[in-house]
Order: sequence, then structure tokens, then C-alpha cells
Amino acid sequence: MNPLSLFFKKQYAVEEKIQRLLRYLEDMGQLYRGAYEAYLDGSYDDFAQRNEDLNKIEKEMDDLGLQIQMTLMRESLMPDSRDDLLWFLTKLDKVPSSFKHSLGAIAIEKPEIPQDFQDPLKKILAHTHDAVKALAHATDSLFTDLRAVRQHVEEVGRQESEVDKVEYKLLRTVFENEKFELARQYQLKGILKQLGAVTNLAEDVADAVLILATKHSA
Amino acid sequence: MLDPTVLIFLTSGLFLGWSLGANDAANVFGTAVGSRMVRFTTAALICGVFVVLGAFVSGTGAAQTLGKLGSVNALGGSFMAALAAGLTVYWMTKLGLPVSTSHAIIGSIIGWNLFSDSYTDITSLLKILSTWIICPLLSAVIAALLFTLAKIFVRKIGVGLIRMDGYTRLALILAGAFGAYSLGANNIANVMGVFVPVAPFHDLQFGQDFSVSSAQQLFLVGGLAIAVGVFTYSKRVMMTVGSELMTLTPLAAWVAVMSHSIVLFLFASERLEQLLANMSLPTIPLVPVSSSQAVVGAVIGIGMLQGGREIQWPRIYGIVRGWVITPVSSCLLCFVGLYFLQNVFQQEVQRESNYLLSTRVLEKFQKEGIETTGLNQLSDSTFSSSAELVRAVSSIVPLSSQQGLKVVEFSLQKSLLITQEKIASMDKKGLSLIQLDALNQLQGQTFNFPWQLGDSLAEISSEWEVRGGGLKNKLYDRKIKQKLAHLYRNF
Repeated sequence: MNPLSLFFKKQYAVEEKIQRLLRYLEDMGQLYRGAYEAYLDGSYDDFAQRNEDLNKIEKEMDDLGLQIQMTLMRESLMPDSRDDLLWFLTKLDKVPSSFKHSLGAIAIEKPEIPQDFQDPLKKILAHTHDAVKALAHATDSLFTDLRAVRQHVEEVGRQESEVDKVEYKLLRTVFENEKFELARQYQLKGILKQLGAVTNLAEDVADAVLILATKHSA
Repeated sequence: MLDPTVLIFLTSGLFLGWSLGANDAANVFGTAVGSRMVRFTTAALICGVFVVLGAFVSGTGAAQTLGKLGSVNALGGSFMAALAAGLTVYWMTKLGLPVSTSHAIIGSIIGWNLFSDSYTDITSLLKILSTWIICPLLSAVIAALLFTLAKIFVRKIGVGLIRMDGYTRLALILAGAFGAYSLGANNIANVMGVFVPVAPFHDLQFGQDFSVSSAQQLFLVGGLAIAVGVFTYSKRVMMTVGSELMTLTPLAAWVAVMSHSIVLFLFASERLEQLLANMSLPTIPLVPVSSSQAVVGAVIGIGMLQGGREIQWPRIYGIVRGWVITPVSSCLLCFVGLYFLQNVFQQEVQRESNYLLSTRVLEKFQKEGIETTGLNQLSDSTFSSSAELVRAVSSIVPLSSQQGLKVVEFSLQKSLLITQEKIASMDKKGLSLIQLDALNQLQGQTFNFPWQLGDSLAEISSEWEVRGGGLKNKLYDRKIKQKLAHLYRNF
């Protein structure tokens, strides 16, 4: 047992909760990718199951986020940076919500995805998954080693740029394809935008991590 | 059994101690408590324990320098000096004005000197006044250096926000403990220094090896009074001092407390003085310095490192004004208070002293390098005050400040009779067997001037000789003089 844990019980307890929160985030990223790919592959039961699992984890994450906020306030931890942290945790909470909305739209609209969109979409999902993982690492570094924050934040930015490139190409394909009706074009556009919004949000949150790390570096 | 009137006279010192605790604890734990990094009860407990420790273990050094400025020789005088300082501190705190307890007590001592027409050693006064500039400057430099090093260290070790919080809290607590110790060590002289020459306690012996001098008992009582002030009144001050001058991050707050503590320690540590003297380096004078000045200096040092834009300069000017008003107020208050205490309440505020310029004394002057040409006209003259004596002598021969002190010391008439009973009953702590043997050889002798006892002892044994010259000898000589002063009090 680390002897320092005797002196810093409260701090270690909050750290452990934040580690759990970030594991949930990574799990959600994986479930999101798996669910979307299952839909693209036509495994609708698999999609429904993963969607349900994601919603369960999202609820756990909400509860855990609230616990962390209450602990910070009740134990007067980090009084200097508490407001910043509470603001950040609120922002981080939007990422799981974006997964939910993206999959929710698929579940309701049940769009027909063109075959030649499968591979580019799976590429977007891979980059999104990597972006979420990098965001989790960046957040972890905020609470364990401020020096490592920047490299993870830059990784989120890189993944977001890759998603933008593929998204842009697909959007052009959608609107240049005369066989698609206008309604279908806009539906597909909506799906692509929602996909892209996840990494845009991840990048926003990563920028917030960087701001916090810079502000609280000595 | 202690005379109850003595306890009454000591109350002003306790009041001053309480004021010091109420005010200055905020300099040690103010930022930590104000920013809620440390709970008040934790801060008060640590502060109380360590301030008492500092006062008891290390309080002697700074008290001696204060004694040189003015040796208040009657309990009534000590009472009024401490009361004047305490009231000044209390009123200014109530008015929301920044105050330094060190400045207040120095003003009071000067007030007593003026009232009793006692000689004020200008060298000691200037030494003390110089620290009013040196202390904040030194604190600013130390803070700037420490802040730079701390930032580099924190960046290198790479911790996250949560661990940084934990480490900073621990660092603030440790710095606070050190600060409280330094506060006790350095500032107990302000609280109880005026009572040391008239200490009403007897030295206590516990077994062979452990004894507690009367001065240490005074410091313990004073330290407890400071601790009570911390517990009962400092919370309000702590909650406001945190961001008065500048918004400090937890790291900057730690640096401010550490710098303050280091400076107070530097001006109180006899061991450090010894170490520097042994290395033939210039020593730092042991003087009670202002805790408030040290903190303000540290905050300015940190602020200047960051460009100086965040410092509340109008507040700084207000603080500096307070530092000037304080000694003047306490000096006037003490002077007026002594008048009333002596003439209205018929209390003794100064002990009558006689100064005689006998032939032997003039010979002693010559031996000590004081010019005596023309002083024969004052031969066998007596003076009732040291200032009058020095004025008379310096009107004939030029006198430096140090020589003025010597003139006073060698002219003071005090009959000392060395008896076996007195030797047996006095505390012999610190006297070597050879020194004790030399003293025993003087049994039955009477000395009209205390210095004659010292000279006789030195003739019998070299262990009583004052070596003179050089930094290393300065500390040795101080110990010899302390032992001699102890003998003068006992006989």
C-alpha cells in the first residue's frame, strides 16, 4: 500500500472515481463504434443490444459524474480550481450524450446506407473511437501528469481532422449523386453531421482540458 | 509563592501576546485557511503548538537585542510598555489598519527610555530600524527565488491536479508549522522581552541535566498567550488576509509563508549565527522583526516576478503608513501611561540607579579605550540617569554609541556581596567547574560595581575572560556576558 495514501485519502478516492469515469467513456466509445458497425453490417439485433448497453453505461456515468462533483464540493478539494473542474465535468458529460443522440437517430430513422459508404463510415467510426480514447487519456493526464496533456490533446485534433476529411468527401458524394432524392440527401447529410459532431465535441472538450492544464501548471 | 501583583503586571504582556497571536497567525496560515486549503481548527492547533515551542526553545536570541535598546528595570515600567504596545496593536486592528507588534513594542521601549531619561543605544536602534527595510527586501528576494525554483520543480515532477492539491495542502501545513515556530522564536521577545530584566520567576531545575530559566518560563507563558490569541481571534483575520494584497495560487501562498518563516528564523536563530561565525562569515543580527513586513515583502517579491500588475499598491502604501504610525503611537501612549502610573497610581516604573564616575571607573574607561582626558572634572560625580551621565561625559569627550553603552555599564553602582549561601542557592546551569571554583574563591568579597566582579573572576580564571575582537569570539563573549549578568542578578 502506498504510504502516501494515508495522508491523501480524499484525493486518492476522487482520483479513483475519475479513473472509473474515464473507463466508462472509453467503453462507451467502443460500444458506439460496435453498435454503428453492427447496423452497417445489417446486424440489427446486435445494434439494439449495444445501444441498450451504451444507454446503461451513460446512466452510470451520469451518476458517477454527480458523485465526483458532490465530493469536490463537500470535501473542499481543490478550492482554487473547483469551479473550473465542475465546468469541465459538465462539458465532458456532453460526449456520452452525443453517442446517445447519434445512435438514437439511427434507431429511429433506420436510414438506408449506400454500400459504397460502408468503408468510409467505418473509417470515420475508427477515427472517432481513437479520438475518444485520446480524450480519455488527455483527461487522465490532467489528473495524473500535466506534462502529458498536450500530446493527447493534439492526437484528438488529428483524429478530428481525419474525420472532417472523410465527412467532407462523403457529403460531396451525397450531393453530387443525382440518383439520391433530396430527402435522402438531407437524411444522409444529417447522419454524417451527427457522426462528425462527436469528434467536434471531443475536440472542444480536449481544448478545455488543455486550457485547464495550462492554467494550473505552475 | 508568586506575588499576585506580579501576575497583574504580567497581564499586559499576556494581552500583547494575545494580540500578536490574533494578528500574526494570519501571516502564517491566512492564505491556507482563507482559500480553504486547510481547516481553521487544524491551523490553530498547529500554530498554537509550534509557536509555544519556538518561544520556549529559541526565544532568547532576539530578546537580548531588544534588551540592549532599553532595559526596563521595573515591573511597572514593563507593564506599561507592554500595555501601550498591546493597546496600539488592538486599536489599529479594530480600525482595520495593518499593524506590526514589533514596531509597537520598540516604540514603547523608546517611550520608557524617554520617560526614565535612560540612554538609548543608537547602534542597537539603527540595527533594529535597518531590519524594517532589510526584512521585507530579504523576504521579497527569497520569495522570488523560491517561487522560481518551486515552479521548475512542479513542472519537472509532473503531477496532476488532484495530487497537486494534496501535496500543496501538506506543504502549507508544514510551512505553517515552521512559520509558527519562527514566529514564536522571533516575536516572543516583543511580548515578554521587556519583562526579562525583571523576571519574577526563579530558575527551575529538573534533575541533573534539565533546567528552565526564568526567561524561558516567561517565554512559555507568553507563548501560551499567543496560542490563546490564535484560537480565539485569529480566524476573522485569517479569512480576510488571504487575498488582501494579491490573489495567490496555493503554490504562491506556500512560497509566501516559507519566505516569511525563513526570514523570521534567520533573525532569531542563535545556532545559525554560531555556524556563520564559525565559518568567519558575517552574522545576521538577532532582532525581533515584523511578521507582517515579511509576508508583505514575500507577496511583493512574487508579484514583481509576475510583472507587478496584480499587486494592490494602494493597500501596500496603507500598510507602510501603518508601520510608521505604530511605533510613534505606542511611544506616546507609553510615555503618557508611565506618567499616570507613577504619579497617579504611585507605582514604581523605573528603579533608581546611581552612576558614579569614581577614579576606578575612569581607569576602567581608559583600559577599555574610552578617552578620559578632561573627565577628571567629573571625578566622583554621581548621576541618577544613564542619559544624564552620557550627556555629561560626551560633552567633554567624544563617544561612539558602543562607548556610551560601556560608560553606562561601568558607572552603574550596585553593591554585590559574594556569600556561600547565595552561591549555593543560585542556578549554576552553564557554569563550568573551573568557573564555579573561581567564584567560590571570591566568597566574602564585596564589589561596588558589577564589572569589578567580572574582572576579579577573569583574574582568577581565563574561563571568565572576555576575548574581544572577531566574529567567533563575539558569540563566546556573549555567553560569558550572559553568565556574568546572571551573577549580577543573583548577588
